[in-house]
Amino acid sequence: MNQAALIQLGISLIAVLFVAWLVKRIGLGADPRIADADHAIRLAEEAEAGFKGIEVARDRAGFAAIVRNAEGRMMLVRAHGNHFAARPVDAATVGRLDKEFLTLTSPERTFGAVTLQLGKEAGMWASRMRDLNCG
Amino acid sequence: MDKLPDPVVYAVPGFILLLIIEMLIALRRDRSRYEARDTLTSLMLGTISQVAGAAVGAAVIGMAVWVYQFHLFDIGLDFRSWWWAWILCFFLDDLAYYVFHRSAHRVRWFWASHVIHHSSQHYNLSTALRQTWTGFFSLTFLFRLPLFLIGFPPAMVFFCAGLNLIYQFWIHTEAIGRMPKWFEAVMNTPSHHRVHHGVNPRYLDANYAGVFIIWDRMFGSFVAERDDEPVRYGIVKQLGSFNILWAAFHEWVGIAKDVWHAPWRHKLSYMWREPGWSHDGSRATSATIKERWAAGRPVEEAAE
Repeated sequence: MNQAALIQLGISLIAVLFVAWLVKRIGLGADPRIADADHAIRLAEEAEAGFKGIEVARDRAGFAAIVRNAEGRMMLVRAHGNHFAARPVDAATVGRLDKEFLTLTSPERTFGAVTLQLGKEAGMWASRMRDLNCG
Repeated sequence: MDKLPDPVVYAVPGFILLLIIEMLIALRRDRSRYEARDTLTSLMLGTISQVAGAAVGAAVIGMAVWVYQFHLFDIGLDFRSWWWAWILCFFLDDLAYYVFHRSAHRVRWFWASHVIHHSSQHYNLSTALRQTWTGFFSLTFLFRLPLFLIGFPPAMVFFCAGLNLIYQFWIHTEAIGRMPKWFEAVMNTPSHHRVHHGVNPRYLDANYAGVFIIWDRMFGSFVAERDDEPVRYGIVKQLGSFNILWAAFHEWVGIAKDVWHAPWRHKLSYMWREPGWSHDGSRATSATIKERWAAGRPVEEAAE
């Protein structure tokens, strides 16, 4: 790479950082929350065509939710940037219960772990996760 | 080889200016159209794409020049004498782009390179710059080779390709609704291209055009944007991450894992079949998703 190309690359990187800074500085962006059970079901159904949610465990702050269908399959939906991303909750997903909090760790490292504050329901959903591992 | 300037280099200041104008429009209309980490990811992917392109540029040019020695017709570069060849070259290059782009969505090997461009859940001008790092590795340059064989000089083809790329920048926006009817009929527009970036089952695998939407209308891949179904952007299995390395390589990693674990007779199929294909039918292709969406049946595992 010659000197002119390096200078061009340097200028590009500065411009990239400036634009990203500007997006934050002028207040662009959103704080997406899952409003209620219907919203969680809609997000799960959008993530997987044909999935029909019937029961929801929603994080108290609305950052994430677990949606279950009639066959017992579950989907984890969580906020990602201004939008949401979802993954199936299966035997490879690790669940850890801590009183009212349930933490789900996806086998996909970049998706990461999600902690949901579920109140008294946390134990029931943790039990369902154990059933996945046994089944 | 005769050399012409790269038009994209001259367009970059315009790209940045339009990006800032679009951000100001988003500030007034809908702040959620931009997200700082998403924008940073897109622009970093674009910047490194330029570096990757420069690194293999000599090889691509070399291959073009090598193929050009077998050309069928003698076509010159001088615009005053060869203006019709320039127009024809631009038109045929856009057809070659359509063929490449359709293949990039229907063959997993090409998709692994192209998916990077679709990996944002946003649709703004920064998304336009989210470009591949692995285009050379996935052999995407093959699609333009017939133009050199016809006799269009490599410099002319690369210049036209640059203009094509510049055209495609402005259509990556939600700031423009619909263009005039005659324009929507012939040209690729923000509305048509929003559909292309959609993950709604109705919108999957549609509108592959670069500049002229007529190719989609001719070859049956055109789908119009509907006012009653807003487009949801991204990929069927959203990344859920702003990690640029993961965005650039996740599908290649997926191919490697699948090929490693697949029975011998299915290994190649994980490279050349459509994204989401699996030998045991445990995943869903876009066709399966469309079918099951229409029938309201569950999809066992979303396509990559």
